[in-house]
Amino acid sequence: MLKAENVRKVFGSTVVLDGVNLSVQPGEVVSILGSSGSGKSTLIRCINGLEKLDGGRITVDEFDVSKPRELAEARKRSGTVFQLFNLYPHMTALQNITLAPIQVLQQPKAEAERKARALLAQVGLGDRGDAYPAQLSGGQRQRVGICRALAMEPRYLLLDEVTSALDPEMTADVLGILADLARGGTTMVFVTHEIEFARQISNRIVFLDKGKLVVDLPTAAFFSAKGGMAVPRIAQFLSKMRKD
Amino acid sequence: MRYSSFTPYDIVLLLQGLGVSVGLFLATSLIGLLLGTVWAVIRYYRVPGLWQLMSFLAELLKNSPVLVQLFLVFFGFPAFFRVNMTPVEAATLTLSLNTAAFVYVIAVSAVESVGRDQIEAARVFGLSRWQVLRHVIGPQASAFAVGPLVALLVNQLQVTSLISVIGVVDLTKVGNILNLRTLKPFIVWTVVGLLYYAAAKLIAMLGTRLENRLRAHSAWKGL
Repeated sequence: MLKAENVRKVFGSTVVLDGVNLSVQPGEVVSILGSSGSGKSTLIRCINGLEKLDGGRITVDEFDVSKPRELAEARKRSGTVFQLFNLYPHMTALQNITLAPIQVLQQPKAEAERKARALLAQVGLGDRGDAYPAQLSGGQRQRVGICRALAMEPRYLLLDEVTSALDPEMTADVLGILADLARGGTTMVFVTHEIEFARQISNRIVFLDKGKLVVDLPTAAFFSAKGGMAVPRIAQFLSKMRKD
Repeated sequence: MRYSSFTPYDIVLLLQGLGVSVGLFLATSLIGLLLGTVWAVIRYYRVPGLWQLMSFLAELLKNSPVLVQLFLVFFGFPAFFRVNMTPVEAATLTLSLNTAAFVYVIAVSAVESVGRDQIEAARVFGLSRWQVLRHVIGPQASAFAVGPLVALLVNQLQVTSLISVIGVVDLTKVGNILNLRTLKPFIVWTVVGLLYYAAAKLIAMLGTRLENRLRAHSAWKGL
């Protein structure tokens, strides 16, 4: 189980996360919605240990990310896909995917490459393994980013606005792959602005506003008139997003 | 002594001088590259106390004339520390440290040129700081640094001519000797200059080839 308890994060005088509680069971898809600046991405960055907590506790399968000794183990259990892909530009797609499995999981090179090629084929990039990121389109890069995270066989896939740097067509490509993963039972924490998509694939929806967790509801309840829509802030957010 | 004109043996003298210059250049560049890189790694790990000391030393070396450093090492050190130092030893020590200081500055900015986002990605996937340096920062930083490093080395080759002042018989010193003997400065210094030019050009060419290899990833190969 992935668990955040009373998480608090402050940048200077700005409170970015204010007492956030969240737990994700294996097999669940949880979407995190909220306006820009509501703390969604920061929550992901706290879970994978890129930001230090100013209060509270985050555990990934009982491994506390605030403890340096346990962070490595926690990180092995979660895989992150980034908004701006964050690929290594000097490595081919295949090398991007196999770096961590070879270095961290100590898989033999041949095995890591075989798995990477299978993943690339799965996302429709079977023939682009030897291309450098600069030679790939945005959508292709993000698909490599997803493969890189999956290659670590994470128990939790953390997705930080993975389509917000892509055009609609590429977004559809990437979302298609994520929908397949969701159907396949991959556990996901999905920070997104794609409301409709979140509605289709999520078991639960969490809404953050100004660093506070406003609701944490099953998807159907979140979109029902008596559930999430009864909260003025959420109704306002959803109506604005749908106009776009 | 009578002034005499050029003899075929002067070519041997010039080549010997060139050999000394290039030899010292190669030795001090190698030491300087290694030392400067080690300093930069110390800074990357922010080894307490040590990295501030390195930065300070690099600042001193890069902001004072090489000739002054050479005099300090050759005349000052023996007088102060009561050690013996040959001209070649003093030249090697001074030029190595001077090169190291500039290599350090280039290496630090090369490491800083690598995007924070990739480093975060690598850390998130569990790579240690050393693994990040070795696989993510290192290759990209070297591609970034090779241009400035080649420019530095070409310059350091010219700087070796200063060691003739403390009595090392390098190319410049040979030029000086031939000039005094023949009193034909235009010919002597043209030949000496061309020899330096040829050596510098060779370094620059090798550097460009290395640079192209290291930057293969950013070259557009077509879809």
